[in-house]
This record gives sequence, structure tokens and C-alpha cells, in this order.
Amino acid sequence: MINLRRYTLIRNIILVWMTVVLLAAFLLNIPKINILEHTARNLYFHVPMWFTLMAAVFVSAYHSFQVLRTGEILRDIRALQAARIGAFFGILGLVTGIVWSKFTWYVGTDIWWNFDPRQSMVSLHLLIYGAYFVLRGALDDPTKRARIAAVYNLFAATTTPFLLYVIPRQMESLHPGAEGNPAFSEITHPIMRLVFYPAIIGFIGLFWIMYTQRVRTALLKNRVSHDPEL
Amino acid sequence: MNWIRGSWAVLQKDLRLEMRSRYALNMLLMFVLSSLLLIAFAIGQEAVSERMQSALLWVVILFSASIGLGRSFVAEEERGTVLLLQLNVPGSQVFAGKLIFNFLLLVAVDLVALLVFALLLNMVIENWGLLVASLLLGSVGLAGATTLLAAIIARASNKGPLLPVLLFPLLIPLLLSVVRASRAALEGGLGVSGAMGDLQTILLFSGVVITAAVLLFDYVWQD
Repeated sequence: MINLRRYTLIRNIILVWMTVVLLAAFLLNIPKINILEHTARNLYFHVPMWFTLMAAVFVSAYHSFQVLRTGEILRDIRALQAARIGAFFGILGLVTGIVWSKFTWYVGTDIWWNFDPRQSMVSLHLLIYGAYFVLRGALDDPTKRARIAAVYNLFAATTTPFLLYVIPRQMESLHPGAEGNPAFSEITHPIMRLVFYPAIIGFIGLFWIMYTQRVRTALLKNRVSHDPEL
Repeated sequence: MNWIRGSWAVLQKDLRLEMRSRYALNMLLMFVLSSLLLIAFAIGQEAVSERMQSALLWVVILFSASIGLGRSFVAEEERGTVLLLQLNVPGSQVFAGKLIFNFLLLVAVDLVALLVFALLLNMVIENWGLLVASLLLGSVGLAGATTLLAAIIARASNKGPLLPVLLFPLLIPLLLSVVRASRAALEGGLGVSGAMGDLQTILLFSGVVITAAVLLFDYVWQD
């Protein structure tokens, strides 16, 4: 079983870590950047959301694979919870990105949505997880639901990498490192990177806390509803 | 050889059943015709750009596929013939037979959609080869994705409109490429050589989707 003391320790470290990151994100002075100015601090929040979504996609796909291999219900619970929290972070990343671009590059225009490759990727992942949740709702038997939902999750995971290749050929990007845009390291001051990288680790850690808590709750719920003695 | 014979038997069975009732084919064609007429009436006399033409064509094909092809496994459940198939033919052969059947249905849809659309919207096709290639290759990928998902929804309790919900997010990479390739075929000129990259993407996508579908099919098919 879980070593509760170690779990609490890791959780507390992540909480302290996130607090320090948040304080540094708002209090540390950052150099003036054209167009962005102080909204550049959004880098610490918007980009880690995307990294967290990717981590969640990997965790969810891995556990879906394990569902097919072993057929354990626990694996299905893990895949589902990773997908749920991934969708949550995806929505946050999408919203922070849309609001950010609206009030910087698109200020004074009516543009809210732009067909930026990364924005399209996130919205696609959200669509897939939406379909995954709908599919789960349409299946009654738990073992069958676990297996078939895992098939859909893995099948979706094989098609999404194509977007990385297809979309950049037809859409322009606001993101650094894309064609014609300066690379990430050129536009960020060292002090920003000092906060940015810990923020990625912190948000992934936050994902881990939420994920493990939700898995435990779901396991307990599962036990209560299936154990006749309780 | 055995593998091909088994797949052929499944395909033959589906073709014969289809010839008896012509349900799937008629429904698909009627869906294509009515949606194309709706589009034509909604647009009216206005000239439509090549990009819009290829986008509308593919949206119609995608929607008709998502509505018509979903029946391939649901029908087996309704007729109570699933067990018979499971006992007689290995899963991969069932998948191959159904895949080819769905592909043939899609080719019929492509043909009708293209002809009617060209008539209604005064389409000028500059490069027939590229257009046919993009339609055929696109249909292979579409059939691959639809066949696995049709097997998935046959297992669900409320089968209704589930297939489009599951299908469309997966097909966005394919849709983007085929729309670009068909647009280049309609415009002609310089875009044609650039469309080769799109055709390669479609080919690769179809290959990956079909491989993944064959690998995953057994988990859906076997109880």
C-alpha cells in the first residue's frame, strides 16, 4: 500500500514549492518586453498548463495501455482521473492563452480565437477527452467500460501526433520557436527562466497531488458501491 | 491465404446482405444528395471559392460516413450474428472484411458527392488525378477510423449519435490534409506540387490508423 508519511512529505514539499513559485512570479522584477510588458508574467502560468496537459495525456494513455494488458479496474480509474485533470489544465491553458493574446497582440481588434497550432492542439485534446467521457457514459458494465474506453483513448493518442506535423504547415503561430518567431531562449531574460522552469515542475507536482487524491477518492467510492458488506 | 479467404468471406457476406436490402447504400446516397442540395440552396447563385468547395465537399463526406458506416457492427448485434462471426473467423479477418466493405461504400459516396457537387456549384477541376487520389486515400483513412469506432459503439448501450462525437476529433488531422489536397486539385497551377506532401501525410495517417485499429480491434471484439 501507500506509504502515507512519504506521501504527505512529498505533498508538503510541492505545496511549499508552489507557494515560492507564485510569490516569485508576482514579486520578482522582470525586464520590459515589447507588447507584452507585465503580462509576460503569464508565461509562468500559461505555459506550465500546457506541459501539465501533456503529462496528463501521457499518464492517461499509459494507464489505458495497462488496462488492456492487465484488465485491472484500478488502471481504468487512473486513466480516467488523469484525463479529467488533464482536461481541467487544458481548459485553463486555453483560457489563459486566449485572454493573453486578446489583450496584447489583438488589442483593439475583435479577434478572440486564432488558429494558432498550439491552441488548435489543446482544443483537439479537449474534444477527444470530451468524447472519451461521453463514451464512458454510454457503457454500463465496468470491465467492458474499462477496456473499450482504453481502446478509444489509445486510438486517439495515435492520431494526435499528426497535428504536430500537419497544423504548423497551414497556420501561423504566435509562439516562440515557430517559423519566423524568435526562439524561446532569445526573448526570455534569465530571471524569467529562473521562475519558469520551477513553475513547470510545480504545476506538474500540483497535477500529481490532485491526481493521486482523486484516484484514492474514486477507489473508495468504487469499493463502497461494490462491496456488499459496507 | 487463409487470412485472405476469411476476410473475403466476411466482405462477401456483407456485400450480399447489402445487395438484398441496399439499406446502407441508399441511406448514404440520400444523405449525401439531400445535404448537398441543402448547401446548394443555402448558398444560392453566389460563387464559392475553391477552398470553400473542397471544405464543403469533405464536410459532407465526413458527416455521411459518420452516419452511414456506424451500422456495420450494430447490425451484427441486432441480427444476433456476433457470436457466429467470433467463432468462425479471427478478429483481424472480420476487421479487414468490414474495412474493405466500408471503403467501397465510401467510394460510392465520393463518386456521387463529387459529381453532384461539381454540377451544383459549377466546380472546375484542374487536376483530376490529384483530386481522385486525395478522395481515395482520404477514404482509406476515414474507413479505418470509422470501422474501429463502429465496433466500439456496437458495444455501447445508447448507440444513437455516438459515432460522430467519437469520430470527428480523431479525423481533424486527416480533414486538414485532404481539404488542402483537394483544394490544390481544384485550383491547379503551383499548388499541385505542394500537395504531394499532403498526400504523403494522408497515406501515413491512413497507415497508422489502420495499424492501430487492427491492434486494438481484438480488445473490442472479444468478450
